[in-house]
Amino acid sequence: MMNNVRDLFAPLRLCVNLLFIAVLLSAGVSAQTPQATPPPPASPRSGTFPKPVEETLPNGLRVIVIERRETPLVSAQLLIKNGGEVDPPELAGLADMTANLLTKGTQTRDATKIAQEVESLGASLDSGARWDSSFATVSGMSSKTPQALEILADVVRRPTFKSEEVERLRQQYLDNVTLALGDPGTIARMVAARVVFGDSPYGHPVSGTQESLTRITAADITKMHSRYYRPDNAILVIGGDIGAKDGIALATKYFGDWQKPTTPMPTLSAAMDGAGSKTGRVVVIDKPDAGQAAVFLARTGINRKDPDYFRGVVSNSVLSGYSGRLNQEIRIKRGLSYGAGSQLDTRRDVGPFVASAQTKNESGAQVADLLLGEISRLSSAPPADIELTPRKAVVIGNFSRNLETANGLVGQVGSLALYGLGLDEINRYINNVQAVGTADIQKFASAKLDPKSSNIIIVGNAKAFLPELQKKYQNVEVIPITELDLNTALLRKKQQTG
Amino acid sequence: MVRTSIRLALSVLLLASLQLTGLAQTRMPQLKFTDRTLANGMRVLAAPDSSSPTVAIQVWYHVGSKDDPQSRSGFAHLFEHIMFKSTKNMKSEMMDRLTEDVGGFNNAFTADDMTVYFEVVPSNYLETLIWAEADRLSGLNVDDANFKSERDVVKEEFRQGVLAPPYGRFEYLLQQKSFLEHPYKRPTIGSIEDLDAASLKDVQEFHSTYYRTDNATLVIVGDFDPKQLDAWVDKYFAPIAKPSRPLPRVQVKEPPRKSEIRVTEYGSNDLPAVGLTYLTPRQADADSDALRVADVILSGGESSRLYHSLVYTQQIAAEVNSSAETREDASLFVLTAVLSEGKKVEDVEKAMLAEIRKLQDTPVSAAELDKAKNQLVTNQLRQRETSNGKALALGEAAVLLGDAGRVNTDLERLQAVTAADIQRVMKKYFTDTNRMVLYYLPEASKKSGEGK
Repeated sequence: MMNNVRDLFAPLRLCVNLLFIAVLLSAGVSAQTPQATPPPPASPRSGTFPKPVEETLPNGLRVIVIERRETPLVSAQLLIKNGGEVDPPELAGLADMTANLLTKGTQTRDATKIAQEVESLGASLDSGARWDSSFATVSGMSSKTPQALEILADVVRRPTFKSEEVERLRQQYLDNVTLALGDPGTIARMVAARVVFGDSPYGHPVSGTQESLTRITAADITKMHSRYYRPDNAILVIGGDIGAKDGIALATKYFGDWQKPTTPMPTLSAAMDGAGSKTGRVVVIDKPDAGQAAVFLARTGINRKDPDYFRGVVSNSVLSGYSGRLNQEIRIKRGLSYGAGSQLDTRRDVGPFVASAQTKNESGAQVADLLLGEISRLSSAPPADIELTPRKAVVIGNFSRNLETANGLVGQVGSLALYGLGLDEINRYINNVQAVGTADIQKFASAKLDPKSSNIIIVGNAKAFLPELQKKYQNVEVIPITELDLNTALLRKKQQTG
Repeated sequence: MVRTSIRLALSVLLLASLQLTGLAQTRMPQLKFTDRTLANGMRVLAAPDSSSPTVAIQVWYHVGSKDDPQSRSGFAHLFEHIMFKSTKNMKSEMMDRLTEDVGGFNNAFTADDMTVYFEVVPSNYLETLIWAEADRLSGLNVDDANFKSERDVVKEEFRQGVLAPPYGRFEYLLQQKSFLEHPYKRPTIGSIEDLDAASLKDVQEFHSTYYRTDNATLVIVGDFDPKQLDAWVDKYFAPIAKPSRPLPRVQVKEPPRKSEIRVTEYGSNDLPAVGLTYLTPRQADADSDALRVADVILSGGESSRLYHSLVYTQQIAAEVNSSAETREDASLFVLTAVLSEGKKVEDVEKAMLAEIRKLQDTPVSAAELDKAKNQLVTNQLRQRETSNGKALALGEAAVLLGDAGRVNTDLERLQAVTAADIQRVMKKYFTDTNRMVLYYLPEASKKSGEGK
């Protein structure tokens, strides 16, 4: 529980004086007592980002080291360039189970020994699959880095996938599916993926479904591992209290003799180009005991290498974040939610754009309207500089703070490497964000976020919001939670035809 | 209970952690800080660190949900939200203009014993934020529309935290049923009815009662010049007068439990859950250190006793956890489990009790003790990677432990914990009569009369 907490507060280097004056004017602060207005800022101090150093080992493993010495912690992440998108359609969850099982036994260590050794170092070891990648990450005190990397190499290279461990993990995954199906927000996220991506690779839950999990065999897992876990399909990112030389030497010691197979490299799959995505569905999952409704607006967005990437990031920031338009309208002005926001999830192929909020069941339809309205307004009333400049500052501040911790550094750099982007993008990021203007937002919003091609998903107690929703939309699909089937884009269990 | 959900994890961090150490191999950076108290009673703790051009500003008010007025449970937390509305010199949400809009952020959280407001901003904005914090300490100027709209936000926070997640009410009940007399029996988020009863008059009353210089601690960590900071603090905070009326403090003592308390409740969860709580002493008590180490031995990672036994070996639980939930007046040691499909709640309770008994009967090995201490060191290092994390540690030591120096000595105290200490506290507090047991069962099992 404690380990989930990463407070990423960090450097900033934008010049904000002009912005500040604009803010004061807009706030309309009255002048009275000597200190009725806030004192203006002093001149800003700039900081520097650490520079990644990289080397590709003879076996094809790409090693990247980023030094940041403030705290005696090191984080190391081994990335495989494939994840949930390569799950066969009937075996959703295969990549995630494979990655998770890495830490459940190797040729020389069983699951218990791995956990004991890692935790004796005070370190933590996690593994799993996401979209486009699988990972194993170890992080802990820098004085224990060699021992930690040795274990990391062992679990990635020599897992055994014993059947008893497969069965144990299968039961845990099944329990987790049951837990997930109790939470309106989690259900809505899984349904949104099916609605947007249909039966294509980004459509299924990355951790599987009740049905797919029961089908996965130890043989499937072994095959997945031997196909994708190879040094020339992997990236090792080491960050924190360690120098480049030491990092590369340790990588060579523990990963240098990892043999590259002679079989051809797996292709980096094109999940879909977005063209086949579904639009205009209105799906209600009726969960009569839901304490709140989760309201999602979902559609395709862009891929990570899209030339519009920074326009997209800034557009999303205009909508999202505490003072973003969605939270302004839904929480701050109307008190309809504890928080509304959006996410532009960029992947190797076109990922989703999702705007969402949780609200009392009675307000479900109203919140859907407000979400849609704000997406429309992004192109009809794009932000002028007085609104845009602060939203860009938010993006830059979040980015900079993320680079303040070992885990954050490794995550950022790993993501650039995964998508084949230059690692020096770290140092161009701020300028790229600053370059986005009002016209860019308008163009991006109308070309890429047209609300007409969005889908609406509401998970909650349908009787509280359905009549109002049906007044607006003729095509509402109502699916009782007991009939929800996440294995198919239809989302509904097949009728028994006897 | 935080102002925005993004940072919900922080309150967990505060309750659950603040552990340190200093094992031979790891250099544990000491936090060098200054400590002064203004004539009006305001305490100022400051630790310069110029590794990045940002600064963390926190104001700790020594008032929490235990101080909620009568029939106003949840009020201290609602009030925390109101502190972001208009003041004498700031319009609603101006705090966001001064932080978020310049690339920083702000937030706040309320716990049983304290309310903490914090900002991280580019360091050239430090004076601005000191002005702003002083301004909202001086007085609020909130209108009824703003008050009601924010109260609706808090009601949505209640729904999102308690009603929507399958085990939200379970956690709520765990605290509610664990205290009989002490106001800790009212969970921080309160209830919809009490929130509805709150008024603007309550807001002004609460502000003048608790938001005063002699009940506030300012913590600054990051990029600043100490002399300059002193001058700004003198300029903006020193002129605020200390009220002459006394500061009320909760005097209620939670009585010792005389016999085991057993509670069964039903919810929308599909898998049953079981929770055990034991009353333990106040946070500053010397036994807290051994209890914190015991917590890590029980549930810190997959090699921990509860996880290894219940989740891995017996496969009767999907999730297990424990927490030495320290509080200022009286603490709880909490153990929880969510069952695996088809398991019996009685069996899981027995398995949890068996792990407790083992710690009572047999001292932990040196290796297991070292493992727990290494985990505590890493946790502390992670917490202190950022200025805001360091400031939280400093604030907690000063306000809740009553000794700011504990920020640098806590790890030594934990290092000093022995196997015998752990065995002793396990025997002392984990008794049958000091136990509350909560079964949280699916509503469906009630209807079918199934005794799952």
